[in-house]
Amino acid sequence: MENLVNALVSGLISGSLYATMALGLTIIYGVSRVFNFGHGVIAVIGAYITWYLLSVFGVPFLPATLLSLAFMASFGWLVYRFTMSPLLKKPNWEFSTVLFMLGAGILLENVVLQVFGPRVKSIPVLVDGALKVGFIQINWHEVALMGIVLVVIAALSLFFKYTRTGQAMRAVAQSIPGAQVVGINIEQIFGLTFALAFTVTGFSGILLGTKYYLNPHVGWEWMVKGFVIVTFGGLGSTSGAVVAALVLGLVEAVATLYFGAIWVWPIWFVLFLIVLLLRPQGILGGRT
Amino acid sequence: MLTVRELDCFYSDLQVLRGVSLDVGEGEVVALFGPNGHGKSTLLKAICGLQPPKRGSIRFKGEEIAGLPAHQIVERGLAYIPEERHLFSDMTVLENLYLGAYPRHARPVLKKNLEFVFHIFPRLAERRHQLCSTLSGGEARMVAIGRGLMSETSLLMVDEPSIGLSPGMKMAVFDAIRQIHCERGMTILIVEQEIQHALEMSDRIYLIKKGQIAFERRREEVQVDEIERAYF
Repeated sequence: MENLVNALVSGLISGSLYATMALGLTIIYGVSRVFNFGHGVIAVIGAYITWYLLSVFGVPFLPATLLSLAFMASFGWLVYRFTMSPLLKKPNWEFSTVLFMLGAGILLENVVLQVFGPRVKSIPVLVDGALKVGFIQINWHEVALMGIVLVVIAALSLFFKYTRTGQAMRAVAQSIPGAQVVGINIEQIFGLTFALAFTVTGFSGILLGTKYYLNPHVGWEWMVKGFVIVTFGGLGSTSGAVVAALVLGLVEAVATLYFGAIWVWPIWFVLFLIVLLLRPQGILGGRT
Repeated sequence: MLTVRELDCFYSDLQVLRGVSLDVGEGEVVALFGPNGHGKSTLLKAICGLQPPKRGSIRFKGEEIAGLPAHQIVERGLAYIPEERHLFSDMTVLENLYLGAYPRHARPVLKKNLEFVFHIFPRLAERRHQLCSTLSGGEARMVAIGRGLMSETSLLMVDEPSIGLSPGMKMAVFDAIRQIHCERGMTILIVEQEIQHALEMSDRIYLIKKGQIAFERRREEVQVDEIERAYF
């Protein structure tokens, strides 16, 4: 019982980190229909920049994170402007954009390897110590992570609902010709969507880097988890991604507790394939 | 207000418009007739920037707009109501209407325009919090027209507004368009298959056949059967 409750708590924590991981993927797909196969490396880059600023220049965590996110936003915009935008205007873009992002991901992974080396890094925890309630024990750091994730998700949903740009992104996701006839600049919104998604993805990499470890290749594992989550939750649905991430986080924790960590991926992928066969549009189906 | 000259339009290799010229004066209602697939909708899409023309000139309020991206044309005060409606189906009626006021110049007058839309379509006021995916065909058409009005437009181009609607709903849509013209003095360019109704509200008509203007008439110079004969 004690073990189960502790496992569930840690499942919720990993689940919420996976949720931020999946959000960037689902935001890009929902708006532009590009499936970003370079997603994991984007998260890794965000984390490495923060790590570099923290440990080499001694910049405090908050400014290091902000600088890294500003870089990710510009990087996302540039990737859209100079690679995705021309590809989307040509035939077979569904295929060419996927291959391009996959190739770019492998290239960037190697750039990270050359620049930072193969040794494992980690970003220090935000707060030390642990919270004890009865027999439940949670690190304060993990409590902080959960809080940050909740704030990020709330901020994103407010952004999509109430800001002019957020509404325009939802409009483009639902109907491109509809967005054109109301005067939305599609190119601009696509560019901003990539900037936003890269920022969120980079941030998820930073958070993951504080809880797990960092190496240039870990992005692929994160990305595959992101894929499973967005397929579960419905590609393009942000609320679906959050729910699916929490469910899969709990599945992971319970599976680790009762069968051992080696069973997590088989169980995830059995669930993934079953969901894909029965409901290809995902459990929650909807869109942004 | 709108001057189209020698417009050529292609869908890949297929030429859809051949040297089309057309004028719409301020305050006029102009109807565009012609058989299906002969270029009426393409002409509207070329004007509003969704289907850029290959050659020719489109001047709106004295400025050349041929080939501009659609959002820049909307910003100049030209609204296009697509036949397919293209609503944001997972949003409410109100969210769709607010997005209609996306251009910067439309936002200061958002309230006034919203009141006007609800005045023309009281049914939309009742359904303002309903998702667009749950609306009937007629109601969805009303949202599409209302969304166009929210952009603070000076020329409204309406593509087949009555298509697929029940007879009662068709009348309601035609009444609404007439009301928009009378109460707002709106300039309107309309493509329509219901010749009789569209003719009644128009000042002038054009007939497009095989991608060319077959003839242009003032309303008093033309009979419904002359237009119908031209279809065959």
